[in-house]
Amino acid sequence: MNSIECTSLSTTAPIWQDILAQAMTGELLAAMNYTSLSEICTDPAEIADALEHAQGERGHAAAFAAQGRKIGVQVANNVDAKHWKRLREAFLRCIAEHDFIGCLIVQEIMLESFAVASYSRVGKVAPGSLGDTFAGIAAEEEEHIGHAISILRSERALDAQRFDDKVYHLHLVVMTTLAQMLAKECKDGHCEVCHASCVKPSLFEVSLSAAELRGASLQQYLKTLDMLGIPGEITLAWVSQLPV
Amino acid sequence: MGQSVASVAGRERTIDVDFALIGHQESWRAAADVLAVLRGPERTPLPDDEIKDILPWIPPRAVCHVEVGSITGAKARGFYIDSFIPPDRLQAAYVHENIARVRGAAACAIQAGAKIASLGGFSSILIEGNFDQLPERHDTVFTTGNSLTVGFIVQGIERMCALERRNIRRSTLLIVGATGDVGSGCARCLAPIVRRVLLNARNGERLRRLATELQADGVQVEIATDLQQLSAEADIVICAASLACPSLLLRRVAPAAIVCDAGYPKNLSPTVQMPGVKVFFGGLGQITGGMRFAPDFRGILNRHPFPDVVHGCLLEGMALALERRFEPFSQGRGAITKARVEQMEAIAARHGIYLAPLYNADGPLEHAVPCQTQWSSAAVHRPRPDRIAESVF
Repeated sequence: MNSIECTSLSTTAPIWQDILAQAMTGELLAAMNYTSLSEICTDPAEIADALEHAQGERGHAAAFAAQGRKIGVQVANNVDAKHWKRLREAFLRCIAEHDFIGCLIVQEIMLESFAVASYSRVGKVAPGSLGDTFAGIAAEEEEHIGHAISILRSERALDAQRFDDKVYHLHLVVMTTLAQMLAKECKDGHCEVCHASCVKPSLFEVSLSAAELRGASLQQYLKTLDMLGIPGEITLAWVSQLPV
Repeated sequence: MGQSVASVAGRERTIDVDFALIGHQESWRAAADVLAVLRGPERTPLPDDEIKDILPWIPPRAVCHVEVGSITGAKARGFYIDSFIPPDRLQAAYVHENIARVRGAAACAIQAGAKIASLGGFSSILIEGNFDQLPERHDTVFTTGNSLTVGFIVQGIERMCALERRNIRRSTLLIVGATGDVGSGCARCLAPIVRRVLLNARNGERLRRLATELQADGVQVEIATDLQQLSAEADIVICAASLACPSLLLRRVAPAAIVCDAGYPKNLSPTVQMPGVKVFFGGLGQITGGMRFAPDFRGILNRHPFPDVVHGCLLEGMALALERRFEPFSQGRGAITKARVEQMEAIAARHGIYLAPLYNADGPLEHAVPCQTQWSSAAVHRPRPDRIAESVF
């Protein structure tokens, strides 16, 4: 990003700061999740894969932090913020049960759908290298999903009912939390990631909106569930029942 | 959870899927009602602004299972697939986006293994002349359903003339949207039995071609791309296209004319826009063998004042499925002939699918013929009068 870009971002820098903080927190949480996953894997290849993913997510977090420095802001993160903490706890319950498939569903289907969709939207409107960073990371995250889909489809082929029930059970916890995060207004107080007041009402200043990020995320989630083979009429009902 | 949905759907689509019905919601209110059913009675309905924010992002997908019965005892099973075209994006500006949505819905039908898919409402209008825009079809055939729509429009005109004691042979017929698939089909069926035909459409060249075709059979035809240029008043009107400005029509219709609103969405109101004119909603049929939705979208997807009433375009797919005749019966634009319409009507009638009792936005225009359906009760099928013009089915 050159000096002209920096100048042009100066008025919107606080908005990008919060967007980057949410993204960085998500990436650090993903890194923690993959590290935890490596601890329940038994196959050396799976362990290596999980650790590689964890490293990749840490790299993404670092890239977001670097983008913050370029526009002159300090990018904070808070994996203990209330929503992110609940998401981590949902993942850790799968870890406690040594539920590898559950871990993949939470991280790759739910959290990555959210990441891919929202990063893609941000990538389209963010200027210069900031936009490139979001778009590039969205593409990398999408590759994760592709890899996980093939594993999960094979799992579903063994017992579709059991698999769909598991997805639904995790959906209730994880997607409800994500839906609350993505709601147009934060109705239950500060998210504990934004540096000052909630960034959502200001998103229009950078050609984004909370409604758009939510819509794109839910669309990506539905399409990912379609790829798993879960009937569309079932997933439509699931998503329709989420809080707004 | 959406237990009601999950329980009826089963986890794998191991059942034969005979048909898929592809459509979309005509109004935000209709969309809100669909989402309210999906949310379940225990959750508060979504606020209107949230619905408008969320619906455009929903990818095309099945909404419910549909089972229909024939008077022969046969049954056919299928899905209703919504393309989730936002109700305020039906204009030309969104045509590419909407075609993509219809393609997505068609892909759902193919993936579900539907043997035949009917394209309802705008879905067929968008792809009428461009079936190659649909995904590669595998074992699924597609029909616009327009042959049966034309059949029910023509039957409706005949019934309305009988109710109003009009002699159709002395009538001047005006068709608005005459060069479309439905409009031209109606022209071919009715031109030989009326005194004079007035044709209106936006495309002058297509109008001239249709007029030449009808004149070759000795029909007296006048054409105009502007309604106001027509020299005569019509006493029977078929609006095969939704009118942007219904009041324009008033200047070209005779007092107490019969007007068939066959457009989609239906937007002619007899009391407000057409005082004195006898408006009815055309192109609708009734399945006397019964129709069942799972989850129960009765009165939500089909908002008519009579039970088991469905748009002809969707009924065509169901009738062909009951007949076990999985063929692309209606395709392309301008290919509907009287013979094909009669063939389709005969297939429908074999399975107890007949012209629906006539009604308009104010309510029924005639008493319902007692409808002995297997699954439906007229008592539970009374949507509010202000909702009966908004049916996807």
